[in-house]
Amino acid sequence: MRSSLARHPAGRSRGDTLLARLRGDAGSRPAVDPGLAGGLRDWLEDELSEAVAGLPDGTGPVRVTKDALDQVLVCEAHFLSERRQPRQVTTEMARGTLVDLLFRQWVTTGAMGDAWEDAVCALRVGRDDGVLGFVEQLAPDARARLAAEVEEHAARIAECWPILAPSWMARTQERLDVPLAGGRIRLAGVVDLAIGAPSAGQASVCIVEVKSGRRRLEHRGDVHLYALLETLRSGAPPFRVATFYTADGEIDVEPVGRDVLLGALHRVVAGTTKLCRMAAGAEPDRTPNPLCGWCPGLADCVPGRRQVEDSTHTGPVTRP
Amino acid sequence: MMVRLPRATAVTEELLAAGPAVGAEALSQVRDRLVAAVSPVVADLPAGERLVLDGFRFSTALRHPERCVEGSTPFVPSPATCRRAVGLAAVDRCLRRRGTSPAEAVAEVLRCGAEDAAGAERDAAPRPPWWARWYGGLPAGARAAVAAEATTWATQLWTALDWEALPRPVVVGARDDWWEPPRSRLTVRTRAEVRVRTSDGQALVVVKSGVPDGTSRSELAFVALGASLCSGAAGAPARVVGLWPAAGAVRVVAVSARVLHGAADEVVSASATWVDAHLERADGRSRPEQALSSTGT
Ligand code: SF4
Repeated sequence: MRSSLARHPAGRSRGDTLLARLRGDAGSRPAVDPGLAGGLRDWLEDELSEAVAGLPDGTGPVRVTKDALDQVLVCEAHFLSERRQPRQVTTEMARGTLVDLLFRQWVTTGAMGDAWEDAVCALRVGRDDGVLGFVEQLAPDARARLAAEVEEHAARIAECWPILAPSWMARTQERLDVPLAGGRIRLAGVVDLAIGAPSAGQASVCIVEVKSGRRRLEHRGDVHLYALLETLRSGAPPFRVATFYTADGEIDVEPVGRDVLLGALHRVVAGTTKLCRMAAGAEPDRTPNPLCGWCPGLADCVPGRRQVEDSTHTGPVTRP
Repeated sequence: MMVRLPRATAVTEELLAAGPAVGAEALSQVRDRLVAAVSPVVADLPAGERLVLDGFRFSTALRHPERCVEGSTPFVPSPATCRRAVGLAAVDRCLRRRGTSPAEAVAEVLRCGAEDAAGAERDAAPRPPWWARWYGGLPAGARAAVAAEATTWATQLWTALDWEALPRPVVVGARDDWWEPPRSRLTVRTRAEVRVRTSDGQALVVVKSGVPDGTSRSELAFVALGASLCSGAAGAPARVVGLWPAAGAVRVVAVSARVLHGAADEVVSASATWVDAHLERADGRSRPEQALSSTGT
């Protein structure tokens, strides 16, 4: 049995710093523009009307998630080959799920016992997306390695996160599911943590995304998407978005202004237009890019293979 | 601690707005017409069987009638299946004790539930809620998952309404409405998360998951019908407000005699779908199950 994790004095100052960054200065939080959410929704629906009109009758809703956007904006054919792949749980995915559960536990109860034990027990009563089976079938040494990793990430969480006061109204794994165009498009996501009491007058919610992997460029786009969804859903934008990295305890915090929301809107329009094209059965564009080497469709993709060959001549590419 | 979503005030005003009143005579007509239409439908059931038409079965018959033939999966307690029960008890505490947050209330509800479950093992009192024994046997990590799920659910309901503007008494998580027509083997079971008294009688709030669609109005009307049939002197509710927190969507059904007649027609049609499905299954299997329960259970 490993030792329990609890808040300690060293963690308190680090946690307080983190909270201060998330909370910011209450006076500087922007006032909620009551017309903003409706305006953004109208804008999205206008921009997407042509793409929606091209959807064949009887097709289900086009689901727009952070992963779908990331993939389709890189390369349409890549998105389709990712979707056709049978879902395979990897060690990184399992670690991400287990760390998410521990983060949720810490935020909700302010305590963790044996991190591995706690996370696996939470997994057992939760939605089964294959991670439990993966974890249970790991060889003892691989399981021990994963458990040690999870333990380290849990220690970072306990070190960096203070126990949130009840007045922060912490919501974990909150689903956002915003229908557009009469439900033919659904913008969807699950927010790891939303804090701050929703308010009619002043933007007061902060959204936090938890990542157990390395920093990636797409992570900013992910939280910007959530800022847009929260605005559409609740009628008020969050005042901050943040990404917390459990590997090193770092947190990226960003204020949410119109630039963030409009940037997310343009990205959603661009990605959703492509997703509608794919849903309508259009031939996907192939856009060779530095990630072709990791694409599940590489074997059948001539431009992608050429890209990989060219990049081996110019030097190795590491996945950002 | 009264905090609310930007739309909470408007939603509360909608809830309390006047509705088209349904008089006692009109309600009695709805009831009589429903009994006359549904009784022959459920009479086809094998002796000793009864159809319990709840919100889930009503929606399944409307949305996916083909699924009525499939076997039911057994109920398994989980953080998702008990979040409503725990969350409602927590919101009720928030309402009664000023300054209590949903997170604190959920923690209290769970602690009391576990204590009651442990106490009930030793002696007979008091009767714990249905989830408490299961919860009491869970390890810490699983308990935290239950608390987290219920806290998020309770916070969504707590911030969706302007509770201070609601006239007292406000009933959070009352007993379901059960209606059994005389000499008929049907039970209509509906539920609402919040009930308030209004100048027109009562108004109901229903919390749904996902996003509203073309069937949502029928689902809200079904709740209105169940409450009306069980209402006695209170009469039909004036309004049913549906909340979809994930979508931030709100739908309002102003309850009229026409709405109730429409819902009654859909009850007949949903009952027929379930009875047909049962008979089809009974042809292929020896043991009837799912939507049907033996009389008296
Ligand atoms: S290999 Fe490259 S170009 Fe080909 S589908 Fe994959 S990402 Fe697109």
